[in-house]
Amino acid sequence: MNTVDVIAVLAAVFLSPLLGGLVAGIDRKVTARLQGRYGPPIFQPFYDVFKLFGKEKMVVNYWQIFCAYMYLAANILTVVLLALQSDLLLIFFVLAVGGVFLVIGALAAESPYSQVGAQRELIQMLTYEPLIILVFVGIFLETGSFKISQIVATYHQPLLISLPLLFVVLGYAIVIKLRKSPFDISTSHHAHQELVKGVMTEYSGPYLGVIEISHWYETVFILGLCALFWHTNYIWMSVLVVLTYFGEVLVDNITARLTWRWMLPHAWTGGLLMSFANYFWIYAKLK
Amino acid sequence: MVEGLVGVSILLPCIAGLLCFLIKSPGTRSAIIVTTGAILTISALMLFNIGPCTYTPHTILGIDVNLLITVADFALLFIILGIAFKLGNPLVVILTLLQIVPLAYFELKMAPHVEVSPAFYIDRLALIMNLIISIVGSLICIFGIRYMEEHEHHLHLKKSRQPRFFFFLVLFLGAMNGLVFSNNLLWLYFFWEVTTFCSFMLIGHDRTEIAIRNATRALWMNMTGGVAFVAAIIAIYYKTNSVEYLSLQTLINHSPELTGFLLLPFALLCFAGFTKSAQVPFQSWLCGAMVAPTPVSALLHSSTMVKAGVYLVVRLAPGFQGTYLSTMVATFGAFTFLTASALAVNMSNGKKILAYSTIANLGLIIACAGINTPAAIIAAVLLIIFHAVSKGLLFLCVGTIEHAIGSRDIEDMRGLYNSMPAVSRITIIGILTMMLPPFGALMSKWMAIEAAANIPWVVVMVALGSGLTVLFWARWAGLFVSGPQLKQQEVKKESALKATLMTMFRGFYPNAKWKDPASIKVPLVLLAIGAIVLSMAVPWIYTILVEPVVSSYRPGLFVEPFKTGPFGLTSGVGAFYVLPVFIVSIIAYLLAVVASQKGGHRVISAPYMCGEHYPDPTQPKFRSHMNSWRDYLAGNVYLHEFIGEDKISYWINILSLIILIVMFGEVVR
Amino acid sequence: MSLISKSRVKSPWLIHFDCGSCNGCDIEVLACLTPVYDIERFGIINVGNPKHADILVVTGTVNHRNKKALKNIYDQMPEPKVVVAIGACGTSGGVFREAYNVVGGVDKVIPVDAYVSGCAPKPEAIIDGVVIALGKLAEKGKKVDQGIFERLEKTQSAIKAR
Repeated sequence: MNTVDVIAVLAAVFLSPLLGGLVAGIDRKVTARLQGRYGPPIFQPFYDVFKLFGKEKMVVNYWQIFCAYMYLAANILTVVLLALQSDLLLIFFVLAVGGVFLVIGALAAESPYSQVGAQRELIQMLTYEPLIILVFVGIFLETGSFKISQIVATYHQPLLISLPLLFVVLGYAIVIKLRKSPFDISTSHHAHQELVKGVMTEYSGPYLGVIEISHWYETVFILGLCALFWHTNYIWMSVLVVLTYFGEVLVDNITARLTWRWMLPHAWTGGLLMSFANYFWIYAKLK
Repeated sequence: MVEGLVGVSILLPCIAGLLCFLIKSPGTRSAIIVTTGAILTISALMLFNIGPCTYTPHTILGIDVNLLITVADFALLFIILGIAFKLGNPLVVILTLLQIVPLAYFELKMAPHVEVSPAFYIDRLALIMNLIISIVGSLICIFGIRYMEEHEHHLHLKKSRQPRFFFFLVLFLGAMNGLVFSNNLLWLYFFWEVTTFCSFMLIGHDRTEIAIRNATRALWMNMTGGVAFVAAIIAIYYKTNSVEYLSLQTLINHSPELTGFLLLPFALLCFAGFTKSAQVPFQSWLCGAMVAPTPVSALLHSSTMVKAGVYLVVRLAPGFQGTYLSTMVATFGAFTFLTASALAVNMSNGKKILAYSTIANLGLIIACAGINTPAAIIAAVLLIIFHAVSKGLLFLCVGTIEHAIGSRDIEDMRGLYNSMPAVSRITIIGILTMMLPPFGALMSKWMAIEAAANIPWVVVMVALGSGLTVLFWARWAGLFVSGPQLKQQEVKKESALKATLMTMFRGFYPNAKWKDPASIKVPLVLLAIGAIVLSMAVPWIYTILVEPVVSSYRPGLFVEPFKTGPFGLTSGVGAFYVLPVFIVSIIAYLLAVVASQKGGHRVISAPYMCGEHYPDPTQPKFRSHMNSWRDYLAGNVYLHEFIGEDKISYWINILSLIILIVMFGEVVR
Repeated sequence: MSLISKSRVKSPWLIHFDCGSCNGCDIEVLACLTPVYDIERFGIINVGNPKHADILVVTGTVNHRNKKALKNIYDQMPEPKVVVAIGACGTSGGVFREAYNVVGGVDKVIPVDAYVSGCAPKPEAIIDGVVIALGKLAEKGKKVDQGIFERLEKTQSAIKAR
């Protein structure tokens, strides 16, 4: 570990929640503007979380507490590994740990709403996980490495140019991962009657705050993945990340929630077709 | 020294098995089993310490060993023929005859007195297998002692049938050791058939109608593999016209110009391995085998016997490296991984989930063997080790739970943590070691995906399959803890540290007593600790156990695919920081425990039920019609409408047959 | 600590419970969320779950059947929490006050911190009521910060009374 790594780790641990919270705030503001509203202050997510930490502790089951903290730890580790420019697949697997503990925590409460949310969250994981692996394999086929440090060091043009379709696949996976409409299936701000709050239903007070912070880390991780597609130039990288996230918010606002029965086959078929098309293109280019 | 250890590994279980059969006293039998397990473990460790070695026994008690095995082989085949007639199953009769006749022709006419030297070639992979068989196998046998008592108690048997059960179970250990040590293909074939026979007898042990039907299915499917094995032996002799290549080691290290000739035997041997490992389209026998008592499922049908198939394929892999066959094997394995994982998702029977997951993991191992790069072979060997420990553990857990609650359905395990905290926690550990980093099974998957990345269709199948595995494992782990928080008697806590430590090791109910007897507790705890410690020790396991396997396969050509460092493993294309991830996980675990244990005001509340919940949160109910209190009932999503077993099994079988036909078609051409 | 107490008033999440309203008040409550009033400006979110909520907004009369649900939902809100009763029915029972099946206003079952009168009250009035309740929320928050929980006090006094 050299100084740069130490700084990267510290930044990942301490700055990414700030960044993630800010992104969430901007997200809410932009959403409000798209709906013709004024919207909350940009720092609203921070107020929300601080408030949650001041609430009374209420649980159904001690496992919830355990799982909430494991979810946080896994997400922090994901971002740290990303900051250390580690192995893409390893990062992905650590990300899955978070998802699994979120689900176990939701299943721990016998509430029908959190149970339904947990099952749906599992199906969402089932949908986006293969897609993300396919994207990583595409990156490997193009650059010859799974290690971000090696990709950055040896590959000198934006990945977006050779992997445009895989970027679309990644975008698809991100909507599902961030639980944004039309795939806000496992938890949603708007599905009070059907889901209450899905996986999050039984987490409350400080524990909901922990989940919220983990979610910020998740957002930073996702943005980091997008950034990888234009790693050669910081300006274009920022443009790409901002545009992608704006695209996600736009999709969130203009679509209605779909069912998992629609999501699973369509995401897999579309994702597979696009991935294969892109793989062929990589092969054709190599020849 | 070597001869003694080999003799102990193979003959001691046979003798111990016979003693178990003859001595009717349960106490003596338990003592025999425990002693045998201890001796086997010590002998396996000593043999491992010696390292790769060879040994050719010439006579036992003055009888020529080759002759002995030939006679035993035919005796076994005729016993199976007799059983086949008794079962009235023409298919088994035909398959047995298809082995007896060609084998007799081969031994009497084509090549009488085949002498292969060395007869036992114990390489690194065989040593690892021997360790697994001896250690995990012995623990499972010890678990079986008490399990079978309860099992027979449930069945209300007048006369105990345990002697017969333990005869086959312990005998199997010897046969399996013989199988992995053999270098002579004819001997290998003999041990192969002995394991098939043991498996048949043990599946049908309970003599119910369904047990006999499933045992018969297992028999004929494994016999198909046996026929392929005999065909392979004859094909080798026919193509090379010498008995020299009946030695496994020579066969693998054949000169390059012979590869074309030997592809057919390789394909046949791989096919035999596929049937043994219950790959699609032969998956149904392993699922049927789940009717057997749980120790059988744990020992034969997950951690050892089905590993014989993948052992053979992995062992042969260097022989067909870079050929068309290799790619087809990879495709076939990945296809099995994907489809078996999909089938596991729509199972609610716990043992069937484990069975399909076993098939899937074996498929992944075979896919790795087919990818056939050093990194892939390493992934395969690691997966063999980690899967044996974790899956053996999970089977034992399900067995214990089944005896306690009378069901193996995962829906009935909902909230089991409240009534069986210790076993539930161990089961959750077992599940997590199968699916999450930094545990070994997942690390092997990481290696497999990185190794497969150059064959897009294989990696796609592996990616989809691994998504499916997360689904069924996470769901199951979550079910165990799905219940209300029970009120506990206050435990006297002297300090916060003590409270934390207690929670760490004894969970949220430190008062609960674990009532099972020692013979059930010890294997569960040892395997659970083993599953965690082995994963933590991955860098050392890699250097001591696994890397030598691959470097010995490709002497000269070997470029070390992974480097071990203080942090874990790194390869040319990736890195898996085992220890840092472990350390962070442990810290996170401790913090999570402290957070959940920290005192202060905390409300235990009922789940949200739209304001209609029962006031006491320890009793999860809601107010229903006429002010009556109803229990909740939640169920899992099994995706039946997409991937129901009845819907897709047919297509899976067809597709896998097509892959096999394409594989053989090209080889024969 | 001050950060938390500051945030409390900036992020009141409310749950809306319809006891037995004619839906007139409900429509006015929901109108607050529309672009015209946009209460999210103040960080207010309409949540579907008492466990996430700080403010319980109740419309309609309380009757013998739904008083149990109302009590349960109130109990499932973690402290600090406040209750706003909306409309003539919510505050007093309104025209149904003397009906045989009606208990009365919300305050017959749970403590109410702010009353918004009207049939139905205008959205501005509802927002006003919520803002008044926020003042109470801040006060209750101070007690929670000191480790004093109303729920705990009640149990302890009940034990003493026994």
